[in-house]
Amino acid sequence: MSGEKMEHVDGSDQNIKEESLTGEVKGRNVIQHVAQEEQGQLLFHEETIDLGGDEFESEENETVSEDSNNFIDKLNEHMMESVIISDSPNNSEDDVGELGCLQDIVEPTEDKSDHNLEQMLDKEEMVTLSNDSETDHDDTPKDISDMTSDSRASLKEELTQEETKDEPMFGNEGTIDSALSDDKTNPEEQMSEISSSQSSKDDAVPVCTIFSQSNQANSQPQLFLHDGFEPQMVKSPSFSSASETSAKTPPQVVQPSPSLSKFFGDTVNTNSLASDFFDSFTTSTFISVSNPNAGTSVPEKLSSLSTPVGESSPDSADPSYSMGIERSESGVSTASLEASQSPKPFSQIQAVFASSDDPFATALNMSEIDRRNDAWLPSEDTRNVLISVATQQYSAVFIDKENLTMPGLKFDNIQGDAVKDLMLRFLGEQAASKRQVLNANSVEQSFVGLKQLINSKNWRAAVDLCGRLLTAHGQGYGKSGLPTSHTTDSLQLWFVRLALLVKLSLFQNAEVEFEPFGNLDQPDLYYEYYPHVYPGRRGSMVPFSMRILHAELQQYLGNPQESLDRLHSMKTICSKILRNLEQGLAEDGSMSNITQENRNASVQLWRSRLGRVMYSMANCLLMMKDYVLAVDAYHSVIKYYPEQEPQLLSGIGRIFLQIGDIKMAEKYFQDVERVSQKLDGLQNKIMVLMNRAFLHLGQNNFAEAHKFFTEILRIEPTNAVANNNAAVCLLYLGKLKDSLRQLEGMVQQDPKHYLHESVLFNLTTMYELESSRSMQKKQSLLEAVAVKEGDSFNTQCLKLG
Amino acid sequence: MRPAAQAQKVMRLTKPTLFTNIPVTCEDRDLPGDLFNQLMKDDPSTVNGAETLMLGEMLTLPQNFGNIFLGETFSSYISVHNDSNQIVKDILVKADLQTSSQRLNLSASNATVAELKSDCCIDDVIHHEVKEIGTHILVCAVSYTTQSGEKMYFRKFFKFQVLKPLDVKTKFYNAETDEVFLEAQIQNITTSPMFMEKVSLEPSMMYNVVELNTVKQAGEGMSTFGSRTYLQPMDTRQYLYCLKPKQEFAEKAGIIKGVTVIGKLDIVWKTNLGERGRLQTSQLQRMAPGYGDVRLSLEAIPDTVNLEEPFHITCKITNCSERTMDLVLEMCNTNSIHWCGVSGRQLGKLNPSSSLYLALTLLSSVQGLQSVSGLRLTDTFLKRTYEYDDIAQVCVVSSTIQVES
Repeated sequence: MSGEKMEHVDGSDQNIKEESLTGEVKGRNVIQHVAQEEQGQLLFHEETIDLGGDEFESEENETVSEDSNNFIDKLNEHMMESVIISDSPNNSEDDVGELGCLQDIVEPTEDKSDHNLEQMLDKEEMVTLSNDSETDHDDTPKDISDMTSDSRASLKEELTQEETKDEPMFGNEGTIDSALSDDKTNPEEQMSEISSSQSSKDDAVPVCTIFSQSNQANSQPQLFLHDGFEPQMVKSPSFSSASETSAKTPPQVVQPSPSLSKFFGDTVNTNSLASDFFDSFTTSTFISVSNPNAGTSVPEKLSSLSTPVGESSPDSADPSYSMGIERSESGVSTASLEASQSPKPFSQIQAVFASSDDPFATALNMSEIDRRNDAWLPSEDTRNVLISVATQQYSAVFIDKENLTMPGLKFDNIQGDAVKDLMLRFLGEQAASKRQVLNANSVEQSFVGLKQLINSKNWRAAVDLCGRLLTAHGQGYGKSGLPTSHTTDSLQLWFVRLALLVKLSLFQNAEVEFEPFGNLDQPDLYYEYYPHVYPGRRGSMVPFSMRILHAELQQYLGNPQESLDRLHSMKTICSKILRNLEQGLAEDGSMSNITQENRNASVQLWRSRLGRVMYSMANCLLMMKDYVLAVDAYHSVIKYYPEQEPQLLSGIGRIFLQIGDIKMAEKYFQDVERVSQKLDGLQNKIMVLMNRAFLHLGQNNFAEAHKFFTEILRIEPTNAVANNNAAVCLLYLGKLKDSLRQLEGMVQQDPKHYLHESVLFNLTTMYELESSRSMQKKQSLLEAVAVKEGDSFNTQCLKLG
Repeated sequence: MRPAAQAQKVMRLTKPTLFTNIPVTCEDRDLPGDLFNQLMKDDPSTVNGAETLMLGEMLTLPQNFGNIFLGETFSSYISVHNDSNQIVKDILVKADLQTSSQRLNLSASNATVAELKSDCCIDDVIHHEVKEIGTHILVCAVSYTTQSGEKMYFRKFFKFQVLKPLDVKTKFYNAETDEVFLEAQIQNITTSPMFMEKVSLEPSMMYNVVELNTVKQAGEGMSTFGSRTYLQPMDTRQYLYCLKPKQEFAEKAGIIKGVTVIGKLDIVWKTNLGERGRLQTSQLQRMAPGYGDVRLSLEAIPDTVNLEEPFHITCKITNCSERTMDLVLEMCNTNSIHWCGVSGRQLGKLNPSSSLYLALTLLSSVQGLQSVSGLRLTDTFLKRTYEYDDIAQVCVVSSTIQVES
């Protein structure tokens, strides 16, 4: 005998049980009462609040779906959206002129005002529509005067977004005036306008990536899918710089840019230009920066650059060459054509260094550090291929095309400068022309220039430069799927390009270009595959960091499981290498006599690499919100990076705080205090204070949290995190002005460091809360950004729409 | 000259979130050298000394309204800003929350602010524990007087939906004794992980409750849910409770009958950075098994017996009615069950709420699982007969097999 029944949580309040109908009636009564009490002339608004059940149901569903999918729309909606509005006609919250006009019409007779209200109702609904894509057309009359200044502002923004040549203010007034004045057609007109601008907004506004770890559980994977592609779409038609590139508007669709197609066009005729370009920068530069033990590698690299050329190679046994011949039917035409056009200097150098059997060179190549760093364990298949290459040095080895790595640029010209685009839109041409950032043309076309771009945070330009250097190497746009050969430098360039794409949150782009690399285990990615170019050298050309990047990328694309799989296989290989070292073998398991010193160095290197893999796993698990495993993984990271124990324990504490498990968080924070007692120093003291502040935050005690953040600032006045967090606490304490003062002060004090997207996002959010004039303040932030930040700056945080 | 313009803004204050960064590292030998690592070090949102750690320390303000759930606290920042260049007077800001059933005033103070200078603002942070599902409308009204003495008034309405965070299902099991077991399934139907801080059963006055959600392990209580302290979206957890009637009620048999109130579940959860929510279920009710006027329960019975060998059972007979009974016991044989002893014997008078114990002997003539049936009690006062069949089951085995006692 067991009584089974379902109980739904009703909340402790009995009132809920009331029939919805009575609730509604009651609600109306209340409103009516209030309205009468407050102002007699509000009578005709009494019926406005409709809490009808049907409407609610549909809306509820919408809310849920919106929240998980439509992050973009929600971006600007931390401000509560003002929905149903019934106001005093006397109301004059807005400073725009048309309100006066509204009053004039409204006041004379009630009939007329009703009529007007109806029109406004239409209009207001449309505004709502554009604001949050809510589609319920409730019967609620809405009044123009109640448009929140947000919605009005956004309306204004949207209008300016359109390509009209009008002065924004003028256009705005015009539309609203006409909508208000009389005829029926106007609302429709505006409707179309708004909806079009809405759609364009949807296209153009990419997700602000910095807030990716936001609260919604489900939004996470989609989120990354969203922002994977869109930011690069932000393009101004008027982007102009010194290069010819800018002459044409780079379209949103990825395609070869005019500038590079000049060097690498679809037609063979342009190849002459390619050699021009090639010569223009490669002759002087290609300095190996990647290899500290570089003496030998420079010529070697140079020679390798021309390996696909074949003609210059004395023996046709070069595998890549023979392979090129093998597939003459597939695109060998371009390949050979390109080969014939290959720049002279390289062939000459190649001739000089061609005698690669030189034992001296061999000895140099196989240096300790190379072996240690490049070691990797190929898969069984790959190893067989490599063995056959090594044993049949003088006969061609035929390899399936699927087993070869044939990368090429998949898109061009993602560069551009969103900051400048915004300046053009909001500050005018003159202000925009003052914006000076480095671009791919303004630096030396070499690794030195590349580093310069990276360091100055012009990552988009750096991506471009990588593309050019790769184009010079024969792996440019459209070269994907064509035979090529790899060198240490070409892979480093790929790594840098892909890493920067990830840093720019252009995950989809990175994915597309990573694709030809497969699982980074193809035979032609190993030094053994090029016995003549890298005589005696063993191991993988793929930098370890690139493998990490390759694995991590998937989690940003919404496939964290794939990330974990890749990381696990990396972990297996790292562990195997460490085991080999412990057993007195070389990293790859071969017999070798390594000095104890070198062995220790190698163990240290591979332990730290294993630790790095564990770190990525932990991060990935955290993204998957598998907190239990993530915490375990972070614990195991501590084993590899014991010096980071306090930070990692604090991090685990914050994870628990995020889940809401305050007790566990406290336990971890106490562990941190215990651990850091042994250590001295400012940083540890700050960490302890920071943790205490967070704990108070978790207990809803913003005042106390603020105290601790302020305490940190006493010790280290420039601490950006403490500054920002203290300001956030102030807002929750109802001190908007103080909070703003703190953030503004911080940004002014050291704009170079504190123009961080998170800080700016907070600042613009508060500007929006503060007054209807947030636009001006945001624009002045834009000016500050323009002076300090490179083209990689994420302009989304300025919320300039 | 236009009258002074006031801007009123409202922002929901959900807890801030921690900024996460995308770590991209490289090794010294890679092309960028230490550039990537240096860039991450310079980024203020990374953790000093552990830049690869994704979860930073930087707080960011909520970027959208988000969802609000029953039992959570709705907090909101209300800011009234004087956008004009004139002083305005007698400003009154009022925030009301209109639900489907009531209207609540949320403003901390209803006092009028004497004057508001240009570019200054009046701030208020309101809190309200949400107690109703469905449409809520925040009504913000501002009234003030301009310098020219004109009285101004405007209102803004902010509509939001309150959703249900949890799904709770319950199931009761009545034990043969007076104990009741309650199984409660709690499902997280929000979209974010939920830390269950407390799930407890507050029993009604008749019961004592024992929570069966921990296992003793090495002297320490281990949660049956393991180390996972939180519920992922759509995850369900099952809680088990044992309720025992309190002594004073247990003795007075018959009091607990019909529909009884067991108690209610009290659930406290936390989400992002300790955002708290609390709900109670309505009173959980169960239909107590009806025992009629006379309850016959078993105190002792062997589970396995030998074929055709007598065995003993002990019955407890309780008078659940409100009158005294005079009982006669009849024992009727069934196909398999044969009662030993005299049928139709007098058990004597039994007062209300009192019971007597009865040792009986019987044997089974059929192997297998047999049902003990065939007891009849007749109340001679009212000439009413109560039948007791399927009292219990015993396993009857062949006597050649040794039954272990």
